[in-house]
Amino acid sequence: MSILSERVRRSLTREFSQSLMAKIGLALVVLMVTMALFAPFIAPHNPTQQGLEESNLPPAGVTQTSSDIQFVDGERQTVETTTTGTLDHPMGTDSLGRDLFSRVLFGARTSLMVGLFGTLFAVGTGVSVGLVAGYYGGRIDDGLMRFADIMLAFPALVLAIALVGLLGPLTIRIPDPFVALGLVEGMPDSFVFPVTLTIVVGVVNWVWFARIARGEALSIRQQEYVKAARSLGASDRRILRQHVLPNSLTPIIVLATIQVAAIILLESSLSFLGFSGTTLSWGFDIAQGRDYLGTSWWISSIPGLAIVLAVIGINLLGDWLRDALDPGIEGEHGGGM
Amino acid sequence: MSTYQFLIRRGLQGLLVIWGVITVVFLLRFMTPGSPVDFVAPLDASPELRAQIARNLGLDQPIYVQYAQYLGSLLQGDMGFSYIRGRPASGIIFLRLPATIELAVAATVVAIIFSIPLGVISATRRHEPADYAATGFSLVGISTPNFWLGIMLILLVSVGLGILPTSRRPIGLVPAMEMLIFQFETVGIQTWIRHMILPAITLGTYFTAMIVRLTRSGMLDQLGQPYVKAARAKGLPETLVTYKHALRNTMIPIITVLGLQLGTLIGGAVITEFVFNWPGLGTLIIDAINVRDWPIIQGALIVIGVGFVVINIVVDALYARLNPRVSLE
Amino acid sequence: MTDEPLLKISGLETRFFTEEGQVNAVESVDLEIADGEVFGIVGESGSGKSVTALSLLGMVESPGRVTAGEIWYRNADLAAGIAGDVPDAVDGDYVNLQKLPDRVRRTLRGTHFSMVFQDPMSSFNPSLTVGEQIAEAVEAQQRARANPRSVASRTQGYGLGKYLMSFVSSSRKYVTQESRERAVELLEMVGIPDPVLRAEEHPHEYSGGMLQRAMVAQALAGEPDVLIADEPTTALDVTIQAQVLDLLSRIQSETGMTILLITHNLGVVARMCDRVGVMYAGEVVERGTLADVFDSPVHPYTQGLLGSVPEIEGASGRLQPIAGNVPSLLDHEMPDRCYFAERCPKAMEACLTKPAELDVPDQPGHSAACYLATEPFDEATALPADYFDDPGTAARATGVSEDGVPAGDGGELND
Repeated sequence: MSILSERVRRSLTREFSQSLMAKIGLALVVLMVTMALFAPFIAPHNPTQQGLEESNLPPAGVTQTSSDIQFVDGERQTVETTTTGTLDHPMGTDSLGRDLFSRVLFGARTSLMVGLFGTLFAVGTGVSVGLVAGYYGGRIDDGLMRFADIMLAFPALVLAIALVGLLGPLTIRIPDPFVALGLVEGMPDSFVFPVTLTIVVGVVNWVWFARIARGEALSIRQQEYVKAARSLGASDRRILRQHVLPNSLTPIIVLATIQVAAIILLESSLSFLGFSGTTLSWGFDIAQGRDYLGTSWWISSIPGLAIVLAVIGINLLGDWLRDALDPGIEGEHGGGM
Repeated sequence: MSTYQFLIRRGLQGLLVIWGVITVVFLLRFMTPGSPVDFVAPLDASPELRAQIARNLGLDQPIYVQYAQYLGSLLQGDMGFSYIRGRPASGIIFLRLPATIELAVAATVVAIIFSIPLGVISATRRHEPADYAATGFSLVGISTPNFWLGIMLILLVSVGLGILPTSRRPIGLVPAMEMLIFQFETVGIQTWIRHMILPAITLGTYFTAMIVRLTRSGMLDQLGQPYVKAARAKGLPETLVTYKHALRNTMIPIITVLGLQLGTLIGGAVITEFVFNWPGLGTLIIDAINVRDWPIIQGALIVIGVGFVVINIVVDALYARLNPRVSLE
Repeated sequence: MTDEPLLKISGLETRFFTEEGQVNAVESVDLEIADGEVFGIVGESGSGKSVTALSLLGMVESPGRVTAGEIWYRNADLAAGIAGDVPDAVDGDYVNLQKLPDRVRRTLRGTHFSMVFQDPMSSFNPSLTVGEQIAEAVEAQQRARANPRSVASRTQGYGLGKYLMSFVSSSRKYVTQESRERAVELLEMVGIPDPVLRAEEHPHEYSGGMLQRAMVAQALAGEPDVLIADEPTTALDVTIQAQVLDLLSRIQSETGMTILLITHNLGVVARMCDRVGVMYAGEVVERGTLADVFDSPVHPYTQGLLGSVPEIEGASGRLQPIAGNVPSLLDHEMPDRCYFAERCPKAMEACLTKPAELDVPDQPGHSAACYLATEPFDEATALPADYFDDPGTAARATGVSEDGVPAGDGGELND
């Protein structure tokens, strides 16, 4: 089945070839997906392996001088130690001696999985609710939309914090196929997928999709061809799927792309607060590094940069889709005079 | 429809939403695993003691009775007693509220002061360095998690340069102003400002970046409209063409978006407070969630929800006032 | 009134540099417009009429640019004022507008040249009152007259600081009370009932015809020498069209102002104009007095236009399309021959080289860019009907009609 028409595809490729930003966005996203997918192959160390003698090592090439107070023969002494990072830990290590580069790679998995599945959940819920509300109208519509209003009265992050914090972090362990097949060794044998977190980030974002789908359904319900289809005996389900859904696809795709970015930010915030249930996450690492800002700046900085680059990439893709699918929004191609 | 009628109708709708908010918040407790008693009672409490505690907290009643009691006491401004601190939840919450409002307002002011001129410059100097700088800033701004931005600011400004404090702020705006007015002492307000700068930037950056984007695309759209050409043709100064004509029409839709995005701002405030150990509602909620202090959780969520509903009504009224085409339907 | 024309446009070229290529919107236009006359420019959409008008005002915007040509405007005062600053822009009483720096050019808008746009609804700012917008025009002209130097900068001495102050102190407002009163007078002049009340209303509270009157009032605010009316009645109902045209006629006879009327409506031309120029593919293909051009058209395009109108006097005399498509204005697709040849029923072999503008014998001032102006149609050299029908041209023609000329250029050139 081809979702995208020939015209849409042409517009996408044209916009892409003209936009440097779209190319950068795609490159960043491809990089992130590659990192997440092949993390066990790329990572130099097991991201959860601790080594206290290797704690707080600076990134490769960075020299760090730290002064420690030690008791030598019962006497207080200030000992200056100078460490220079090596390529063994290209991005340094955290306070427990875990390799940051490996953690960044595996952290991409958490962000990407939560971003994708959370968005899918939001799209699924939102679009179904919105289509039903808009298509049937009346009381169903009123009830569902009032409920949406109530949901909107809570800021997404506040609601998410409350839900995740209160429901508790349920996680499932998904076996890593590469490890299971014996392709790599010394890597974690499973991936911790934060279930509660994923559902909650979906729940707090479904309303936007519901609104779009409802609007489309409302307007399309009145169209002649839908009335005709109905008079020919087409079932509601069939009309919704065949006529209403395809028409609302463009705004949903654009919104979903941007929502992946928003959800990754949300995930990192919740992980930062320690509500996610997984310890392999960029947000979690940033929280870990907070206590070492004075001595080991890299622990908080590097995972944060990873978040920023990933989200920039997805936002750029979103801009590209929006410009290509709906040229009216930016006014880029507006009248020349 | 007159403005009053509009406000009344919108207010009634708002009341309905607020009632829904309260109900959802109330039900939240029954949807989450574990009983509040687990958190309140000592670990080795006897079943009798546990039952006693449950009775004291009113948890032995059927759910609808509890609901009615909760609604009834809310109407009297009573949000129950904090399980942990034993004091009225409403008192604790309203003591924390000013800090959050100060932070949110400061961030909004920062955002509006910087974003609108940036957005306008970006649109009027399209494809010039200023435009690239503004769009680059806004892209990074909307892509940066604010808790990380806050930590980086602490790292650079406080740890690195040693300029601004990171400790919990010792003074709120009201006492600082009282000090200024009654004792002619500026140290209070200075301290307040010094503690406010980093959190306000942290919270305001995302907002700034977003408004820059909205303003830029809105201005580009408006500047291409025939009425702009007509305004230029009649010899109007470019300042007025840009600000009086195009920006005015740009701001009308932006205001609606801003109203909706205030939720993001409030959410961001929660986590910004956490980073800066800010004595506001955000830290209160996070602490309360960790110990399941239900009266505080519920009360704070309701205050946030109600505040958000009220802000949105104000935004709607403002929108209707600015846009002559909307006759407050 | 002297015999010297008020405006002499020669070799005007305006190009748009779009992603699809260079679009020749105006291709070497020469026009002379006398003081106090109503000059009509007619043509189909995409023929370059509106861009010509915008070029005259110096308001062609990126990606467009006036690439060549001179616009000589006769105004002794202006010439004397400019002579010191920009000596090579002045020739006697004439000023070459194209040589003027932007800051000076800007001062002419509203005061010397003003414009009535096609669609009044979108040409007024929806969120300001009509009175306010007209008062702005009055104010801009008064400030320009009172202190010509102040208009030299982009902000015209009214920068962001002053604008922000106007929110605080009403004495800093750009528009003064006198200008508001003048705006009401102008509204009254163009026949708006209850002008005091109407001035306080927003554009959406006006009907289309009322709003177009208000736009005329706005254009008159600076008592300009030349009023450019770009399709002033196209967006209006037929009955309202007549009222607006009457208004323009009345004002023209009262003030003696020169009107450049741009339209695709031949009925409007017949009703209003003294002389007329017919544009096709960015060029003036025929010009002359109304009687000459309408009674004895020479160019087959003009003949086609007139032939396609059932009754010229009727206000509904809309132009019917002639067979074939409006030609592509993309530079690399423009052939070096008469642009009309492809659609011309009388195309001859000679037409494969571009004809110069030829005077029609015995009709002074009547000329056409067509060989038929001086010689009769020669059937012997006539091109066969399918001469241009090779697959390449056919495909190109469809491509053009489907996409229009790319957005921001051809498609919007005139509408």
